[in-house]
Amino acid sequence: MDKVFVAVSGINAVDNPGPGVAVARSLKEDEELAVQVAGLAYDAMEPGIYMDWVVDRSFLMPYPSGKGQDYIDRLLYIKESFGLDFALPNLDAELPLYIKYADHLEEAGIKTFLPTKEQFRLRGKDRLVEVAEKIHISVPETRAVHSVDALVEAIEEIQLPVMIKGSYYHAHRAYTTQEAVGFYNKLVAEWGYPIIVQQVVTGDELNVVGIGDGEGELLGMLGMKKTWITSQGKVWTGVTVKNERMLEAAANLVGEFEWRGPFELECIVSGDDVYLIEINPRFPAWCYFATGAGLNLPARLVRRALGLPFETDTDYEAGKLFVRYTYELVTSMDRLQAATTRGESP
Amino acid sequence: MSKLKQLAINDEGFVFDPTTGDSFMLNKTGLFIIERLRDEKTHDEILDSLVDTFEVTSEEAERDIADFQTRLRAIGL
Repeated sequence: MDKVFVAVSGINAVDNPGPGVAVARSLKEDEELAVQVAGLAYDAMEPGIYMDWVVDRSFLMPYPSGKGQDYIDRLLYIKESFGLDFALPNLDAELPLYIKYADHLEEAGIKTFLPTKEQFRLRGKDRLVEVAEKIHISVPETRAVHSVDALVEAIEEIQLPVMIKGSYYHAHRAYTTQEAVGFYNKLVAEWGYPIIVQQVVTGDELNVVGIGDGEGELLGMLGMKKTWITSQGKVWTGVTVKNERMLEAAANLVGEFEWRGPFELECIVSGDDVYLIEINPRFPAWCYFATGAGLNLPARLVRRALGLPFETDTDYEAGKLFVRYTYELVTSMDRLQAATTRGESP
Repeated sequence: MSKLKQLAINDEGFVFDPTTGDSFMLNKTGLFIIERLRDEKTHDEILDSLVDTFEVTSEEAERDIADFQTRLRAIGL
C-alpha cells in the first residue's frame, strides 16, 4: 500500500495531554496503512515534535481563530511540501474551522471525518439534558443560568454543594452560595454565558471512546474506568470495563444523532445509576488504551474515510490495565531551533 | 447471582468486576465460598463443604458464610 499522509494535532504530550501522540502512535501501529504523520503544533516545545518515532514531521500552526484562512493555507502548504491525505484534528478549538472548511479541504485532496456543526454543538453542557434524554442515560440535575438571581434560584432548587461549569470548559465545586457566585463571575468573564449549575454526583468515573460512521452505526467503542487520576483529573491508570448502560448510551448517541467521527462520553457511575457528565467530539488523550486492547480506532477512522477495508469487530476484553508513565528524551537544540525559526521539524 | 457469575476470578483469589472495574482479593475461605455461590450450591451444601475442607465447626462455618455474604452485599454483589 502507498504511504498515507495524516495530519494529527494535539501533540502536546504534557501533564494535561492532548490526544495527538496517542492518535499518531495508534496510526503507526497499523503497519499495513503505512502512515506518515504530520504533527500540527502551536508551540515549539510541544513534546510530540521531538517524538520522531511517532511523528514524522512537525509543523507549527497559526491559531485556528478568526476566519482561519491562514490555518487552511498552512494545511495546503503541508500537503505540498510533505503530503497530506487526511487531517485528524484532536482539539475542540480546531473543530469549528475544520467543519467549516471540510468541503474546501476535500476539493484540495485532504479528507476529514468530522462531526457535523450541529453534532459539535451537542457537546455544550447546556445541551446535556436534551442529549441524555435521547440516549437514555441519567444526567445530574442541571440548570443553565444567565444571571446571579437565576444562579441563586438554581442553587436553592438543586441544593448545595453544586458544580458551577462553563458551557464548554472548566468546572468548580461550590459549597456555599457566595463561593458559587464567585465561580459564576469568574467563568462569565472567561467564557461567557450560559453558566451551568449542576447537582454533585459521586461515584466511579467511567468513560467510553468510540467512532460513529455518520449513518447510525458504530465503528467500535471501548469503556474504561479511571482508577487513578492526576491533580488535574486526568487519567493515569485505568481498566477496561463493560458497563452495559454506558455502552448502550454510546451506541444510542451514534444511532440517535447519526454521529460522525470520534467521540468520548464521560460518565459517573453510582451503583446502577450512570450519569452523563460530558461529551467530547474527538478522541480523548487516553485513546491508545483502546488500541492496546485490540481496537485501533484512529486507524479505523482513517481507513473508513479513505474507503479502505477496516476491522469491524467491536468486542474487547474487560480487565485490561492502562498505565501512563513519564519518560524523557534528549536531543539536539537544532530541533528546537528548526521548529522555532522554520516552523517545522526536522 | 448473575452479578457473581460475571466476575473474573483467578486461582489466587483476585476478583475483577467487568461492569464496575472494581477489584479485590479474597482469602482462601472467601474464594471457596464464592466459587460455590457461583455454582449455585445451596447454603447447606456450602456449609457442609466448608466444615469438611477447613476442619471448622459448623458454627464457625455459619459465621464465615454470613460475614462473607454481608460483605458481598455491601459492595453490590
